[in-house]
Amino acid sequence: MQAEVTPAPKPKVDQSAAISHKRAKGYNLHAGDKYYAFAFLGPSLLVLGTFVFYPMLRTLYLSLFLTNNVGRPTVFVGLKNYIGLLTSSAYQASLQATAIYVIGVVALTLILGLLLAQLAVKKLAGIQWFRTIFSATMGVSVSVAAIFWLFIFSPSIGLFDQIGNLLHLPIVAWLTQPGPAMTAVIISTVWMNLGFTFLILFGALQMVPQPLYEASAIEGASESYQFFHVTIPMISPTLFFTSTVTLIGAFKSFGLIDLMTAGGPNNATNLMVYRVYQDAFLSGNYGIASAESVILAVIIALFTLLQFKFLEKRVTY
Amino acid sequence: MKKQTVSHKMFAIVASVLVVLAAILGWTAFSHPSASAQSNGRIKVVFWHEMTGPAQQQLIKFSNEFNQSQKKYEVVPEFEGSYNEAVQKIINTHGTDASPAVFQSMDISTSQMHHTGYTTPVQKFIDADNYDVNKISAGARAFYSNQGTQLSMPFNTSQPVLFYNATLLKKLGVTPPPVNPSYSDITKVAKQVMEKSNKKVQGMSVEIYGWLFEQFMANSGASFANNDDGHTSTPTASNLTGPSTVNTMKWLQTNVKDGVFANYGAGGNALNNEIASFLSGRLAMFLQSSATTTQLTKGNKDQVGITYYPHPDGQKSNGVAIGGASLWISNDKSAAVQRGSWDFIKFLMTAKSQAEWQAATGYLALNKDSQKQPALLNMYKKLPESRVPGEQLAAAKPNNTNSGIFMQGLIQARNLTQTAMEQIYAGSNIQQALQTAQSSLNGNIKNNNRANGY
Repeated sequence: MQAEVTPAPKPKVDQSAAISHKRAKGYNLHAGDKYYAFAFLGPSLLVLGTFVFYPMLRTLYLSLFLTNNVGRPTVFVGLKNYIGLLTSSAYQASLQATAIYVIGVVALTLILGLLLAQLAVKKLAGIQWFRTIFSATMGVSVSVAAIFWLFIFSPSIGLFDQIGNLLHLPIVAWLTQPGPAMTAVIISTVWMNLGFTFLILFGALQMVPQPLYEASAIEGASESYQFFHVTIPMISPTLFFTSTVTLIGAFKSFGLIDLMTAGGPNNATNLMVYRVYQDAFLSGNYGIASAESVILAVIIALFTLLQFKFLEKRVTY
Repeated sequence: MKKQTVSHKMFAIVASVLVVLAAILGWTAFSHPSASAQSNGRIKVVFWHEMTGPAQQQLIKFSNEFNQSQKKYEVVPEFEGSYNEAVQKIINTHGTDASPAVFQSMDISTSQMHHTGYTTPVQKFIDADNYDVNKISAGARAFYSNQGTQLSMPFNTSQPVLFYNATLLKKLGVTPPPVNPSYSDITKVAKQVMEKSNKKVQGMSVEIYGWLFEQFMANSGASFANNDDGHTSTPTASNLTGPSTVNTMKWLQTNVKDGVFANYGAGGNALNNEIASFLSGRLAMFLQSSATTTQLTKGNKDQVGITYYPHPDGQKSNGVAIGGASLWISNDKSAAVQRGSWDFIKFLMTAKSQAEWQAATGYLALNKDSQKQPALLNMYKKLPESRVPGEQLAAAKPNNTNSGIFMQGLIQARNLTQTAMEQIYAGSNIQQALQTAQSSLNGNIKNNNRANGY
């Protein structure tokens, strides 16, 4: 509709003089253009401000206080909430559990997703059916998944225990022992994630140009060599994307934990997000919960940055 | 120039869309129907509760009956999710049109609810009406009162009891535990069950549950927190490492280690698995809330036995506290609405209502006159054992160690005691596990008192 380039807002003066001078000439605003800028930016700024920036700042503010029994900040404690958390063994255990969970979920999701996608990309009879099945978990809600896996892990009447009984294997108390409970939660989460990861990686695999494989085959490259030296580099942007999304998702995992273990046994699956929920909405300790959210946000930002810094170098666009 | 007109049109469109959006937002924000508004000439009394299943059905029935019994008020029951979530909702909506006039809040939120200053103690109405509270169970009343003032009205009330599969014990030739068993009485029965069933039946189970931890302390006469469990003044420290608590934990740990007690873990799944095992005859005894009686007896071919909560050897049982929730009146509503709330509470506490409540839900009838009501007499005839929890409640003389803990932050406290129990069940050092819980809890208490200016 409009042939003109949308004018960018005038850069601030304190920027490098040369650049700002150059830009100012190129994108000089007409007097009336400011109104357009506001009209277009206004709604999103309003929504972001109300639902993102204000809560963020409020969380930061609350994290420096103790809150009373109606949730109002009353006593300023500075960084004591943070210090108290980071030195408490329970919180350290939670950090450790989160690390195990996130690493387990991200690694397994990517490996299994890639494996399934590689299988599904082969042109075989009835492959469509498998492609549908592999991506099916995308349509499963968290609560349904939790109920489904609870049936499988349930002691004495669960599927795993029944199979174990049949084969005379030792019975594992899946959800009442710390180690197995973490395994159970990771398995369920990976299963939930697989559909999405599969679909994205499958799409990427189909985009790899066929001539590359043909050329490498003529050179005598084996299938596994092709996989590591043609496929992986070609889909690396997608792998990078899925790893980042899965990582952030794993850090924020809540529903399955709440429904399957509620943080137990012995806080073995009490991940960072779940602690935030417990401290804020069960105990009403908004100060501590805010400090926990800030720590979580910093950790997620840090990992995402690290990913961009190190993984992105290996990404071939 | 033509382009310019197009952009002007665009601007006009965007602006008008914004105006419409703002109008809609504004309208939804300010058009909430007022909670205290009068409908068909009646004063609306919004009642928040956290009951599901048969208890919810019964509450709806009570509300309808109350609304038909008079023309002045209209009670509107609203379900608010779990106990824990409801506490925060009640606090966060206070003073707005969305807040309830009368609400149900769980046992361990009592001190917090009182200290918010958001409620009118029911004592005010008890005094105004010369309402005879002596008809209501003393043990239940003690839990929800402070320094002689009744803060809220006890409502759905349960007792922790010991359930056993009487048919199964008879089949195995094991004598059931006595009415008021000691720890060693339980161990004896559990061991015999294991031996005589060739380890096919598990003897006993004590769920990892903070409430049960507190009841062990209550029944042995030990205080959980100082200042008489908070009944004389705000607690400043907890006491989880006393000899009787260590003794109880040792009893549990030894039996778990010997395989006499089964460990079902903590949380809702643990309870479900415990009940499933009990109903399928794989678990002979377990400690649980009397509120599960209906679930355990309905459709169960085996006869279920109920006895008192176990007490330490060599001492008399001090009596256990109750569990459940009470009814509170918000003070952000007009005097007329508060009066309506009180009238509704009185209706719920009549001998007839309370008898029907126990028959429908398994929660105990708190009105002493309920025992003569047909609803309860019929139930006792069908299920003589269902008398036991009520008898246990009546037998205990309320004192400062068995009337609950009048302290804030008890939800967190339960998390800590549960973690300690989990560690102890897994074989950790008892003293150390309890000490860790106590230190964390004391830190929480200190912060909480500071934040609230006590």
